[in-house]
Amino acid sequence: MSIDYIIQIAGPMLEGARTTVLLFLIVIVLSIPLGMLVTLVAKSRIKPLAWLAHTYIYVMRGTPLLLQLLFFCFGLPQIPVIGEYLVMDRFAAAALGFILNYGAYFAEIFRGGLLSIDKGQHEAAKVLGLSKWQTLRKVILAQMFRVALPAVANESITLVKDTALLYAVAVPELLNYAKTAVNRDFTVTPFVVAGIIYLLMTLVLTLFFKLLEKRFKFE
Amino acid sequence: MSSIIEVKQLQKSFGSLDVLKQITFEVKPGEVVAVIGPSGSGKSTMLRSLVHLEEITGGSIFIHGKTLAENGKYAGSAAIRDITATMGMVFQHFNLFPHLTVRGNLELAPRTLKRESSQVIAARSTELLTKVGLADKADVYPSMLSGGQKQRVAIARALMLNPDILLFDEPTSALDPELTGEVLRVIRQLAEENMTMIIVTHEMNFARDVADRVFFMDNGEIAESGTPEQIFGNPQLERTRTFLNQE
Ligand SMILES: Nc1ncnc2c1ncn2[C@@H]1O[C@H](COP(=O)(O)OP(=O)(O)OP(=O)(O)O)[C@@H](O)[C@H]1O
Ligand SMILES: [Mg+2]
Repeated sequence: MSIDYIIQIAGPMLEGARTTVLLFLIVIVLSIPLGMLVTLVAKSRIKPLAWLAHTYIYVMRGTPLLLQLLFFCFGLPQIPVIGEYLVMDRFAAAALGFILNYGAYFAEIFRGGLLSIDKGQHEAAKVLGLSKWQTLRKVILAQMFRVALPAVANESITLVKDTALLYAVAVPELLNYAKTAVNRDFTVTPFVVAGIIYLLMTLVLTLFFKLLEKRFKFE
Repeated sequence: MSSIIEVKQLQKSFGSLDVLKQITFEVKPGEVVAVIGPSGSGKSTMLRSLVHLEEITGGSIFIHGKTLAENGKYAGSAAIRDITATMGMVFQHFNLFPHLTVRGNLELAPRTLKRESSQVIAARSTELLTKVGLADKADVYPSMLSGGQKQRVAIARALMLNPDILLFDEPTSALDPELTGEVLRVIRQLAEENMTMIIVTHEMNFARDVADRVFFMDNGEIAESGTPEQIFGNPQLERTRTFLNQE
């Protein structure tokens, strides 16, 4: 494991890590609001909508993420008649799969957070004259995010590792570069370097969420 | 003087369980009413009906002569908000907002409702925190307060909207005995300032002291009502005597 060799492969691997980070950011930024929306719809009084939201959560959590990715990347274009309009850039298709999958998990996390909030909070807000919507925004969601924070942190770290599934749909990213280098140079070093890069990413996330949890401790 | 609260033949049932049966009473402005009675007699339900936390199933409620509900039918939601806005409620378990500081708890509703400038709101929250003796806790989160302090914050929060009527549902029942005094003192001061109040309580001495009238509720009815002297000194009903002897 010479230092020169590591420096030589680090460049292309960090290039791959850029794809990983990009996917992570896109998925986090879009799947958290999606999860929020789905949670609210699942609680809605319009039954068919609520039912739809529950079905969505059930399907996305009940099937392998890898299957979903393969479905979006290679399955959609095979659908008769409309398939030809559903051909997407492979990265975009994979990102869509990730967003829908993680949206369902976040929805479930937020649902748990909502359940943990005492009904006295709704009552106090109501007696103080807040509307349902104001109560949701100013009282309920803030507390729900606080309760959900540790689970959201967990899910985010899982997402960093799940980005490696891009390998399976042949989108070049960190793991892909590592595998190529291992095959080319007959050495295990690239895998170790990849591991270290993943560790660095999860470390940054862990610290970030620790900070958030401290910031929102309400003490 | 005309009544500020008028309740006629109020009924409430949960499914087949009749919790309130034909409750009728009036409260005059500035009056302090203490409500006592055994567990499950409907005290909380009665109080909660007045601010629309429970949907009544029959009877009428008028606040300031305005119709909150008539013959079991509620006014529209705008009218309900209008009427209940003149009433504050203090809960047994405080129900403070844990994610806001003490000052944040007081100011959330007025700031959200935006009827006053933020200087006016800030000035009043400072004034009310001083009044309940917690000016130094303005920037602290509720989790750092004792039960008695939490309940005093809850009272100050209810006062932020300048209510004409305050409802208390066992404000000291969740407190350690040594902390009830500080809360009762605040309520007593409000009584001296002629705040109209209905207080559900197990503190008989306090009820005797501070109330103009006492309702004894039993089994979904106001079984007996009168001045504290009448209820505590010379109760007419056997069940009132039995209850008072147990307390
Ligand atoms: N949401 C509800 N659903 C069904 N029954 C209820 C509900 N709320 C209250 N009850 C019932 O109504 C009756 C009166 O309850 P309420 O809480 O008003 O009594 P209370 O006089 O306040 O008692 P306590 O002194 O224990 O607080 C009880 O039998 C209670 O079980
Ligand atoms: Mg009660």
